[in-house]
Amino acid sequence: MVTVALDVNPEHAHPFIDAAAPTHPSLIDTTHATGDLFGFVNVPMAVWIDEEGNLVRPAEAASIERSPMRDMDIPDGLPERLDRAFREIKKFPEVSDEYRAAIVDWAHNGAASKFALSTDEVVQRSQPRPDTHARAAACFEMGQHLLRTVSHEAAVPWWREAHALFPENWTYKRQAWTLITTPADATENDLMQGPNDVYEGNWLDDVIAGGGGEAYSVVPQL
Amino acid sequence: MILQTLEHVSTTEVADRTGWTAKPEGMCRGEICVPAPGALRDNGTVDINVMANRLGMPLLHDDNTGVWALGPATATGRALSTAAAADPEFIDRNGHPFRLSSLRGRKVLLVAWSSY
Repeated sequence: MVTVALDVNPEHAHPFIDAAAPTHPSLIDTTHATGDLFGFVNVPMAVWIDEEGNLVRPAEAASIERSPMRDMDIPDGLPERLDRAFREIKKFPEVSDEYRAAIVDWAHNGAASKFALSTDEVVQRSQPRPDTHARAAACFEMGQHLLRTVSHEAAVPWWREAHALFPENWTYKRQAWTLITTPADATENDLMQGPNDVYEGNWLDDVIAGGGGEAYSVVPQL
Repeated sequence: MILQTLEHVSTTEVADRTGWTAKPEGMCRGEICVPAPGALRDNGTVDINVMANRLGMPLLHDDNTGVWALGPATATGRALSTAAAADPEFIDRNGHPFRLSSLRGRKVLLVAWSSY
């Protein structure tokens, strides 16, 4: 297994990698190039690559265990937006057992696995990429470059355009939002990513507008 | 792909960042080649405008800094143009370079995550 963190600031990924102490390669993609090159639009997502360096499955949601949040009882009296966020999270599609079993089957059977797709199927099953999505990718990349070399302020108009062109790309949005909503003295990035004065959207309202938790991920078609 | 200039862009640089290689027969990636007359210049560099036009890649310019951003190809209308996995250079936790091709001969499950 190889993990790759889509974080413009590699230091944000370091604490998680250090805590996990992985024995597998733990990479950091500071430019979100893997979105362009593999089709990642959210996390966690994964691609499968065979021994010859060919993809045998396109980018799909990569949950391998059921999140405890799905089964939690939402406490009474929570703030409205937090309550609604939990309810949407509980609607995320759940195929973790099936996906984990598919990985194991591929590990054992390789190309003979029914879950290993042909090259044509891999391409056809990858997500659509219209001109708007490609322009969004270029906008996001321009923004991350300006973030690094000029300022966050310089990145904002490019990232706003990326969000408008490709609203289904959650890595573009969550990366940008968290840089605004995370307090300066925080030790971890903000995960709630609520309304802010810089970007039009926020996590909860955008999830609802996009069809709710049910539509939040690229579900593996197993 | 970020470009400080559209001139003197090497084929290696383009291939490394976009996965597309400029060849006499066109812009190629994996098993596919898209005819792109003029994309590969006589001096071995890549004409970015020709490449972008042939592959349906957006090319953006930031007027304040003069920097260009070249977006991914839309030639196939899908996120993937080919099943051949791209092989960009990543950095690992300690800042060391790493390429997926170093794992050739083994199955790889590449999992994307983030701190947010």
